[in-house]
Amino acid sequence: MPKNGSVLIIGAGIVGMKAGLMLAGASKKVHLVEKLPIIGGKVIKNEESFPNMECSTCMVAPVQQEVLQNPNIETYTYSDVESLSGSKGCYEVVIRRKARYISLVNCIGCGMCYDPCPVSIPNMWEENLMDMKAVYVPTAGSLPNVPVIDSSKCLHLNGTQECNLCVESCVFDAIDLNDSDEVVTVEVEAVLIASGSGLFDLSALPNLGYGDLSAVYSPLEFERLFASNGPTQGELTLRGSDISPERIAIIHCAGRSEVGYCSTVCCMYSFKFVRFLLHKLPEARIYDLYLDICVPGKSYQNFFTTLGEGSTTMLFTPSLEDVCVTESDSALRISYPDTSGESRELDVDMVILTAAIVPDSDLPELARIAGVELDKFGFIKRTDEGSGSTETTKAGIFAAGTVTGPGDIQRSVIQGESAAGQIMELMSTIDGEKV
Amino acid sequence: MKAKVGVYVCECGPNIAGKTDLDEIITYLSEFRGFGDVELVVRKYGFLCSNQGKEYLEKEIRDLGLTHLVVGACSPRDHDSTFKDVCGKTQLNPYLYKIINIREHCTWVIDDMDKATEKAKSYLRAGIARVLYQSELFESPIDVNPDVLVIGGGVAGMEAALALAGENRSVTIVEKNDTLGGRAGKLRGFSFQEFNKPEQVEKLIETILGNPCINVFLDSEVTSVIGFLGNFEIEHVSLESKVITELFCGSIITATGADLYETTEESGFKYSESDDVYNSMEITEMLSSGDEITLRSGKEPETIAIVHCVGREELGYCSGVCCTVMMKTANMIKARYPDIRITQFYRDICLPPSGGQELYAAARSSGVNFVKVQSTGLSGTTVKFKEKNGDEGEQFFDMVLLASALVPSKDTPALSELLGIPVDETGFFQEAHRMTNPSATTTDGVFIVGTSQGPRNISDSMLFARASAGQILTKLLVGEKLVPEVAVTEILEAYCTGCGNCLDVCVYGAIYPDEARGISIVNEAICRGCGNCYGSCPSGALRTKHFTNIQLFREVDEALR
Repeated sequence: MPKNGSVLIIGAGIVGMKAGLMLAGASKKVHLVEKLPIIGGKVIKNEESFPNMECSTCMVAPVQQEVLQNPNIETYTYSDVESLSGSKGCYEVVIRRKARYISLVNCIGCGMCYDPCPVSIPNMWEENLMDMKAVYVPTAGSLPNVPVIDSSKCLHLNGTQECNLCVESCVFDAIDLNDSDEVVTVEVEAVLIASGSGLFDLSALPNLGYGDLSAVYSPLEFERLFASNGPTQGELTLRGSDISPERIAIIHCAGRSEVGYCSTVCCMYSFKFVRFLLHKLPEARIYDLYLDICVPGKSYQNFFTTLGEGSTTMLFTPSLEDVCVTESDSALRISYPDTSGESRELDVDMVILTAAIVPDSDLPELARIAGVELDKFGFIKRTDEGSGSTETTKAGIFAAGTVTGPGDIQRSVIQGESAAGQIMELMSTIDGEKV
Repeated sequence: MKAKVGVYVCECGPNIAGKTDLDEIITYLSEFRGFGDVELVVRKYGFLCSNQGKEYLEKEIRDLGLTHLVVGACSPRDHDSTFKDVCGKTQLNPYLYKIINIREHCTWVIDDMDKATEKAKSYLRAGIARVLYQSELFESPIDVNPDVLVIGGGVAGMEAALALAGENRSVTIVEKNDTLGGRAGKLRGFSFQEFNKPEQVEKLIETILGNPCINVFLDSEVTSVIGFLGNFEIEHVSLESKVITELFCGSIITATGADLYETTEESGFKYSESDDVYNSMEITEMLSSGDEITLRSGKEPETIAIVHCVGREELGYCSGVCCTVMMKTANMIKARYPDIRITQFYRDICLPPSGGQELYAAARSSGVNFVKVQSTGLSGTTVKFKEKNGDEGEQFFDMVLLASALVPSKDTPALSELLGIPVDETGFFQEAHRMTNPSATTTDGVFIVGTSQGPRNISDSMLFARASAGQILTKLLVGEKLVPEVAVTEILEAYCTGCGNCLDVCVYGAIYPDEARGISIVNEAICRGCGNCYGSCPSGALRTKHFTNIQLFREVDEALR
């Protein structure tokens, strides 16, 4: 296969987008594949990012826009990589573009089709905290701002009835209910996997009550609850009610000993949550139940110390395994051993668990398709990680961001830039010789 | 030549056409006489951003011989570049065009059609007023030098050099010490990760020295830096022979490393040189050399204290590497001397790399004692501490190891001045953007890697180095030209008093004083047209192209008419 100057990037989060823009800027053709209907990744789920408390969407939107407008980047949203074969320097990739039923060219994102749709389904992007229609964009501000139709829920597409309400509502002729999947084959010289990570399944910790007790929240649920473009428009109210919590506890390190590593970002987002809470509920009492405070790097500790005296009550517990959350008469009761090992109780209205970062549930399958090995924690292994390389166990395939293990935005971006550099190096060599 | 302004309003389906009276707008503007004898062509079109729309617009510009163009459509974020590109295909300079957002700013936010129509009229009038005062601007690509200067020959600097050097790109490393390898070289493989084999740094040095595309200057310091991305002129001097060497390059990587926090009596760590107190660098050097661990008296220690977070509170940050280093240290000592009793006084255990937790678990299971404390102090080799529960205590140890914080290298302030890149509140170099552009600085073409940017471990330092290499490899392509920003600021010499206000506010270092003429000069290749200086000038000598006073005033005047 001749050298065609093309690269495949899997995952259009901040890492994939930034690396894609770098490579596109160097006149490489980038095929950017994203499984969701929108690009932007996990960062845009956060209203604000630590440590500068910057508006995340404002930080990412220009990057998203640039990606969509860059003539050297072919973006495949709502798409999966089905197969990847070949070796270093020449890979053949089969990409399945799932039927979207809405034209990316004709649709201008006016949103006129949502109201007429008679089907409501839980919105997973919003952590199921709200419903959406069967024709939907995952969240306000989605890019590309073009909806997609859930074919299993749409009455027309699942054969329940001849519903054409969305088609009738569209003045741009953008909806085509006969749309079908499209399979595209491309040839690339190198591959970058930047498909991100998942969160520890909190229901595996029954002592903490997640899933059973409605006032116990995962960190992403809380992020969306706080988000001004989220399910409550940023109103901090308890699930299923319009009551704001008065006492909130954040329990650190949920899943840390189960996964066997410290995820390093949870302390930081916990303190971000404290800021959120102080901002929206200044009267609230906040507690942080913790074992260690992990705030590595030059700018993180300051984020914690500048919270100020009395903003949150730091409760040290030597044994997080012995922490228990149960229902009490009026709210939730947390029992925990204190510094001296004595059992204590704390009544609160809301509990937020800081869950460990774990490999995405789709990663084993993707790794199988790509033929790359995973490390003992289930993240993508790099052959020469010790010297900062991003190359996986398969030559010509690189990995960056939290698909390689927990990390913050900075480190993920740095990995993406490194990968872009390694891909440039690879592409400038012929038979291993630099040109 | 008489101006002939084309005003094209996009219907955007019902988004604009359905919520404003477009015919009314067209009639109103066609009959508007506020612009003197300027000829106005006002038309509407279904979707200007469609391919047919773009072709239509291109044809109109050509056929009608338009001198200026105003497009009333959506947000410039959506389609400014679309119509700029259309202009680029015609005789019309793209800087004589303006997009006016009558969708997001008018029809999408105003329900009352009459009001939306009125607002759209005033916006379009303002756009016409402005565009008449806009001037043609031309891009002028410049040649770039792909070569790279790396300041600092530690592992980060070497890794960057290796990633960049090639037949068409040479790299120069300037190192102030007489050897390559930096701090990691002294540790000979004592890194927290097992992948770092003892001989790795030596191998890296060998590869660097054997690479014909990498020049190494030891015992040398950079003394002068002028220029900008793509074209820097450097001078570096040999500290021994004082010979000055000139160098031309397109980008600079700063890999000058970090130092260890020095304890003082005020910080509560009082000990003298004869005491058996060692910092992490000293103990890891001792361990990696394979020497016996002995006290200064020659005896083997029976008890060792490891004191964490030395300097953390004073400095206001956690270095993020010390816990892992100390877990590994404790494990290595325990493996060789199982009878030595080790106590770690810690505040928090912070183990960012994924292997850290296992080292911690291993330390715990090998019998290392952990005491969680609120504060610690030292007197000789006696550790004074206040436990988490408030109890205070004192304990004598044969040997004390201090997990000292990493601090900016003492060369940092001078380099910051020399390179024109700022340091942040911690004294380390500041990133262009802490999260999304961390290896770049506010000066285009100058990168910061490894521990010169912040405390981190060896492999992350090398990762950072490769990131800067990635930026350079994708930005400064061999044989390609760079196009600097066109809408930059200029200084009108007649008005400039040389007060220097603008120099202080320029974050890009684009302005320099011309002392002979008593004025300030803008380097247009560096300027990004941010306009900071514009606001700071007391004498009105500054002018940001495409954002001139007259352009802005005319626009506002007409919008408020």
